[in-house]
Amino acid sequence: MIMEKLKLNIKIFFEGAYLSYVGLFRWLSPSTYLATLIFSPLTQMLFFVLIGTYAQGTDKAYFYVIGNALMNAAMSGIYGVTMSIGGDRWDGTLPYLFGAPANRMTVFLGRAFMHILNGMIGVLTGLLWGWLLFHIDYSAANPWALLLTILVTTFSTSGLGLLMGCIGLITRNVMFVNNTVYFVLLVFSGANLDLATLPSWMRIVSNYLPLTRGIASARLIIAGHSLTEVLPLLIEEFGIGLFFALLGYSLFRWFEITAKKRGTLEVF
Amino acid sequence: MSAIEVINLQREFQTTIGVFNRKKKIVPAVKGISFEIAGGELFGLLGPNGAGKTTSVKMLTTLLIPTGGTAKILGLDIVNDAEAVRPRIGFIFGGERGLYWRLNATDNLRYFASLYYLDPAVSKKRIPYLLEMVGLTDRADEKVEGYSRGMRQRLHIARALLHDPEVLFLDEPTMGLDPVGARELRQTVRNLQDEKKTILLTTHYMFEADALCQRVAVINKGEIVAMDTPSKLKDSVNDLSVVEIEVFGIPPETVEKIKTLSMVENVSVEDRDQLQLLLVHTSKGAEAIPLLISELNGLKLGKVTTREPTLEDAYVRLVGGE
Repeated sequence: MIMEKLKLNIKIFFEGAYLSYVGLFRWLSPSTYLATLIFSPLTQMLFFVLIGTYAQGTDKAYFYVIGNALMNAAMSGIYGVTMSIGGDRWDGTLPYLFGAPANRMTVFLGRAFMHILNGMIGVLTGLLWGWLLFHIDYSAANPWALLLTILVTTFSTSGLGLLMGCIGLITRNVMFVNNTVYFVLLVFSGANLDLATLPSWMRIVSNYLPLTRGIASARLIIAGHSLTEVLPLLIEEFGIGLFFALLGYSLFRWFEITAKKRGTLEVF
Repeated sequence: MSAIEVINLQREFQTTIGVFNRKKKIVPAVKGISFEIAGGELFGLLGPNGAGKTTSVKMLTTLLIPTGGTAKILGLDIVNDAEAVRPRIGFIFGGERGLYWRLNATDNLRYFASLYYLDPAVSKKRIPYLLEMVGLTDRADEKVEGYSRGMRQRLHIARALLHDPEVLFLDEPTMGLDPVGARELRQTVRNLQDEKKTILLTTHYMFEADALCQRVAVINKGEIVAMDTPSKLKDSVNDLSVVEIEVFGIPPETVEKIKTLSMVENVSVEDRDQLQLLLVHTSKGAEAIPLLISELNGLKLGKVTTREPTLEDAYVRLVGGE
């Protein structure tokens, strides 16, 4: 009985992950997908890498390439996951979702799954652009350690995305909030600024954000450090992602219970 | 045991008025309704817009917590046993929303089947069966965004039946459908009745309730004002006749004047393209016609007829002409 229930929950997770991705992810047409997940990050990378290397020399190109490639995880994790959670409100499917007996945690986490894969593709594409355009050398990197870093980082940014998606259930202007969060990550995560040069209060903020340790870890791995050396960073990055995901889930449950009490399920 | 048992069910909403000097206002939407629905019965809940029909359905489908009273579905409390109620009920709300428009019909049903823990082997057979039942087999692989309103509404029915629930709540299922679509949907509801489903149908189309429901309750301003079989409700207006007069360009003050006549119980006006149909509820029958025509002196008139009252006329009397 327990095994059957577990099997069904796994089915709900994967079926929900795939179908909600197709059903709710509004970038899912070839042209928008390419523009948002490939060309937009490319222009961002060109902008920061060219400015950075102009200011600090071409030997620092790897710093900006890796930082901006990892920012793709945030693009997919925050914007994509928000669409998949908040989309139920826009499509009017929330009453049918909350009127169904499905396990809420399975439904909730399933919404992030495909975006984690998407984020990984985005990061790898970013690294590929770095190799093609700026001749970044990845030969010293342990590929599995790098993949693990990318996976953990996309997970952690998707955790933040799950929280943002729940905010999307209670506000109309979630994209404004998302843009702000994205730019906070751009500044505070160390993607384009050396954290050591930041004022102390900014370093404190960086410590509580996803992406910060993922970017640091990726730079270390590409520089030839081993997985063991970056493992503490990855564990912390995973922990931060989990914290935001659980916070998002709590908000999701709070939203469901409060909406049923107040009658605000379909009210913005 | 009744399939649905509702006892003094209430729901209030709190709203705020003003921007800076905000004041809370309590709005009662459902003011203590009670009724029972037997297993396999098709029960209609009729009422004008804002009467409390949808609020009642939302409470019974566990989507809204009542502020007073209780209700049981198949013996399970809608608040305390909500998780046990959900797999045993199906529901649809009128309108086009509530489906994933970017998915096709099959994928929509696949997704909702998983939300109801439907065994994959069962859903593999059940989805084609339901699509056939609602007449969407030929369009099953097309995205829902390309569907007509009627097709979406029929897909909603299929979605609600995925887990073969014992109790169904259909909230204004024919709202906004064209006559053909509405007729097809009513036939689908009749088929469900043949399968012995317990159905609570809300509508403000009287002929629909008359044609489908075994019993109806009329709800107005959050209260049930009558509950009986459609034929008995019609009997309650046996003392009335309805005079229908086709008239071109009737001014509102004339309608108000007719309302004040002692033999007139109720007056309504329906727009019919270039003319209006004046409906007068009166106890005098054909005898009232000369007086009514004299009140309409100077206006161009069409056909004048009298007829027996319908369920709609009973409804109009019950809700006070709203």
